[in-house]
This record gives sequence, structure tokens and C-alpha cells, in this order.
Amino acid sequence: MTHSVTTLPEELEELEPEGLGASIAHWLRRYFPSILVFILVTAFWEGVVRLFNINVFLLPAPHAIFQEFASNYATLLEYGMNTFREALGGFAVGCSLGVLVAVIAIRWHMLADLLLPVAVASNSIPIIAFAPLAIVWFGIDAGSKIAIVALMCFFPTMISTFRGLTSLPPGALDLMRSYAAPEKDIFLKLRAPAALPYVFNALKLSSTLSMIGAIVAEFFGGSVKLLGVYIKTEASILHTTQAWAAIIVACLLGILFYLAISFVERLVMPWHVSFREVGHE
Amino acid sequence: MHHKKWIFLTVALLAALVIAACQPAAPAPQAPAAEPAKAESQEMAEEGCTQPDKVTLQLKWVAQAQFAGYYAAKEAGYYDEECLDVTINPGGPDIVPEQVVAAGQADFGLDWLPSLLSAREQGTPLINIGQVFQRSAMREIAWKDSGITGPADLKGRRVAVWFGGNEFELLATLKKYGIDPEKDVELIQQPFDMNLFLQRQVDAAAAMTYNELAQVLETVNPETGELYKLEDLVVMDFNKEGTAMLEDGIFTTEEWLSDPAHQDIAERFLRASFKGWIHCRDNPNECVDFVLKQGPALPRGHQTWQMNEVNKLIWPSPNGIGIMDPALFQQTADIALNFGVISEPASSDAYTTEYAEKAVSALEAAGVDTKGENWEPMVVELTEGGK
Repeated sequence: MTHSVTTLPEELEELEPEGLGASIAHWLRRYFPSILVFILVTAFWEGVVRLFNINVFLLPAPHAIFQEFASNYATLLEYGMNTFREALGGFAVGCSLGVLVAVIAIRWHMLADLLLPVAVASNSIPIIAFAPLAIVWFGIDAGSKIAIVALMCFFPTMISTFRGLTSLPPGALDLMRSYAAPEKDIFLKLRAPAALPYVFNALKLSSTLSMIGAIVAEFFGGSVKLLGVYIKTEASILHTTQAWAAIIVACLLGILFYLAISFVERLVMPWHVSFREVGHE
Repeated sequence: MHHKKWIFLTVALLAALVIAACQPAAPAPQAPAAEPAKAESQEMAEEGCTQPDKVTLQLKWVAQAQFAGYYAAKEAGYYDEECLDVTINPGGPDIVPEQVVAAGQADFGLDWLPSLLSAREQGTPLINIGQVFQRSAMREIAWKDSGITGPADLKGRRVAVWFGGNEFELLATLKKYGIDPEKDVELIQQPFDMNLFLQRQVDAAAAMTYNELAQVLETVNPETGELYKLEDLVVMDFNKEGTAMLEDGIFTTEEWLSDPAHQDIAERFLRASFKGWIHCRDNPNECVDFVLKQGPALPRGHQTWQMNEVNKLIWPSPNGIGIMDPALFQQTADIALNFGVISEPASSDAYTTEYAEKAVSALEAAGVDTKGENWEPMVVELTEGGK
């Protein structure tokens, strides 16, 4: 920290929120490039479909997809929320297990040698092979979907948490030990805060994986009121416009989930350097 | 220097691995099928057939007795007699024959009529040139001890079907009995195995007479230690309910068919394929051998059951094999319209019987029985695992 604590430097003063208008303007400035890219890509897509007269079963035009979404959004959102519930359940189970295993591995080193190879192996299980088994073990309903999503979220979370818990500022651990700090304090006051950025990284990754995982799991069977089943069903009777509308819903939910995690991250770690830097973009 | 040597060796090893991994992928599955065919066509390049026409057929599913007629036509030389060099491509879970044919990767495909109607409406002008299966093989099965006696009892139950274009017969049947698929019944998409049904996770499941039904009957009942029997099941038949839709038919694109040379190929292809199916009616066990040569996943016993059941779908063909019955077409088209497969009524331009009729006439003139009125099905005993 190089700024003095008595007066705010100019740059920070400029960034002082002055009300809703200023916040919206600031938000727009940050996200304008991505919005522009989105509009350009959509226009390009529409142009290509019209120019080359592309058959709808190969690639539907964006305007048709938006029309389909507008006329069917209630059903799509209902199915989307059903799928999202599975994704959330799997996310909760997988990430909690990931954090738990990492903590156990740090605290009791001997268990680390036992658990880590198993965790690595778990990541190598092909979902396509695991899905039918999951249906047999956990049932065709939410159980198998939660299991598959949990499997997908477990490894990134575990490995990131493990890394975070061991990425300590140099000398800090020695300092704590020189104070004869108990393990619990070392964990709560040193390792946990250091691990938080890594954990949130993994949670953000898992949030997008969870939606994908839920939909892939649904490809193997499930209630008809699920997004993955809907996409598969519509695609196989060549109703690609409907399938794409559902894909848009899936993307939206995934993005919202990611943004929600980012928001929680900002609340939990306001002290983190990435939120403090001036002119950080 | 030391460093560089190791980097070079590592890169070379990785490159070798990548090259090795890429090699066998394409040729392996096709090589065994292609070579004997080439040898045969070279042997049989007899009178007038100097240059056989190359033709590709896209199957609807993996190699099994469901497609025995085409394999028989190839193995028994009927395609060679018609001066055709036919490559038969197996299908699978994510292969949509309509897309393959529309994209020009195959000349002919096999699909179910509702999908063809949907594809036509989506702007892909496919056309059915031969309706081989005259009856629907799809059933909805339930355990007798579940208390379900017929479709009306499905209300309030967990009912499974594969979806992906084959659910409309079930939906039409539910509607017939006044059951609302959204509210009165819990619909589940079932995977391509019968575990859900066997584990009683659902009350009723979809089954093809020639495949999944046999899979259930080839499983040992843990309570009795013997195979499950047909008497343990309630089999709901959509043909009897009047809600059946037509299944396996041969199709191509209107564009491909507009060329007179292709029209001739189509007629020859149908003639040889029909001859193959007739061969399988009269020599089912030999056709099972032809199918087993393709390396199917399920063994001889299962394929024999399948061959027999598929024959039941084709024979008797009152108008001759492969000729579309307009009334059955209309039934399928009406159900498709009622259930949102298509949004406009289907026109009879979706099919043509011209080439099938020519093929059947030629076969009749040669003294071949194209109707199978006197055909009787075999009795097939199933064993565990379909061996």
C-alpha cells in the first residue's frame, strides 16, 4: 500500500460512487466491449445464415431462436430451474467434499498420501461410463444428476483448496510456529484466509461445470421437465431452433450462477488485492 | 546440450504416440466389411457390370438383425447382381440418419416416418421410397404384479419412454385414454438399457419387441432364479390401440432422386434389398449368421429372436414388401400433427411407391413371393444374456 491514509488520492476520489447513474455508467463502461462483441457475433451469425441459406436443421438463425425463446420462456425457465436445482445440489456436495478432503489432507499428512491419488483417479472417470452406473445406484431422478455434478466439481475444488492452504506468505508459518500457535489457530488465522482466493477460483469454475454436468447427466435419462432431456428430445426430431433456445437458457443460468459466486466472493473477501487495486480492469 | 537431447527425445516420443493414436481410427471398422465386398464384386463383374455403382446406406442403429435384409442382400450377392457396390454404415445413439443423408454422406438412410415428416417440415426434402416395416414394433411394458392391466392404468404412474422421436405413439395412446401427459402421469426419459424397468424405478417402460423386450426376457429373476417370462409382463401394443406409427423405412433426398440415373439405382437397390428381406424370411438362421459376421454386441440367441420379431413386422405385406399403405401413412401423419412433431399436415409427397412397386413387380415376375401370406413365425427360446 503506497497511498497515504490521511487523504484519498485523486484516482480513488474519481471512482467514488455518486449514485445510481454513476454506478450504471461505470458498469456499462466496464462491460461495453463484451456487449459489443456479443452483438457483433449475433449479427454475424444471422448474416451467415441468411447469406448462405443455411438449413435450419444445421444452424438456426438467431432471430428464430429469440422468437422461440420469447414464445416458450415459461416452460424453458421452469425446466431450467429444475436442472439448476440439480446443478446446485451437486455443486454443494462436490465442493464441500472437495474442501473437506483438502483440509483433512493438510491436517493429517499421512491421509494425504491416501486421499490424493484417489481424488486424481476420480477425476479420470469418464462421465459417459459413470452416468448409467449413477442411474442404477442413485436413481433416475435428481440423485444420479447430483452425483455426476458432484464428481465434476469435487476435483477442481479439492486441488485448488489444497494449493491454497499451502500457499502461505513466506515466513508466516514459521512465525506462527515460533509463537507455539495451536494447529487450529494456524488453520483459521493463516491457512484459511490464504486459501480463500483459490477456493473461490474453484467455486467459480465449478459453477459453470455444474450446469454443464447436470445437462450431460440428463442426456442419459430423467424426467421430461429437465433442460437436458428437452434439448436431446428436440434435437433428435431436428427441432434445432427449440434446442438452441434451451441452450441459451442453460448458458444464462450458468452465467448467473457464476456471477452469484463472484458476488459472494466480493462480499467475503473485500480485503483482497483484486478488489482494491486502483484502475484494475 | 544434455537438456536439448532430453527435450528432443520427449517431443519425438509424444509425436510417435500421437501418430500411433491417430492411425487405426478410421480404417478398422470398415476394412473387414469392405474387403470381402470388393473381392465379391470383382469376381462377379460379369455380364454388363463393368463398373458397379457405389452406394452408401445409413442404418438407424448399430448392426443387428433389425437390418438383416440389407446384410443378406450384400452377403448373398443380390447387390452385386444389380451392379451395386453398397457400403452399409451402422448407426448409433447420436447418429441421425436424416442428417447424414441430407448432408450427402449417404445416399439412402433408414428412419422412422415421424422423423422424416419432421425433417421435411424443417426444410430438408427427404422422401420415403420403401416402407419395409409394416407394423410398429414399439410396446410399452409393465410388470403384471404392478396392477397395471392396460394403458388406462398408467394414470398417476411413472412411465418411461426413450424420447428422441419415438414417444408419440405413447403420447397418442395416453391421449386416447384421457390421460394428460403433463399432469396425470410422470414421464421419464429412459436410457438405452432396461435397468430402470428391471429395478422397478419406473412402472412402465418402452421396449421394442425385437430388442428390449428380449433383454428383459433374457434376464434372470432374482426371486425365482429363472428367466423372466412373458406372463410376468403386461405388453401394451400400439398397433392394437390404433396409435401406432410407421417405423423403419428407406429414404433418400428429393434432389438425389431427381436424377434419372439415380432413379435407376434406387429401383435396383430396392429390388436387391427386398430380395434380401425375402431371403431372411425364408432362411432366418442363415441371416442370423450374416448379422453375426458384422460383430454385433448381442449374441446369437438374441439376434435369432430379433430376426423372428422383425419378420413379424414385415410379413405378411399384403401389397408386397416395401409398399407404403396410404391409410397407415395417414395414421402416422395425423398423430405427428396432433402431437407437435409437425405443425402443418403432411402431404403424401413425403413418399413415393413408384420404385418399390417396380421392384416388387420385377420380383413377382421372377416368381419370388413378395407378400409372405403363408409365412409362420418361428418359436425362439431365449437364454440368459441372449446366447
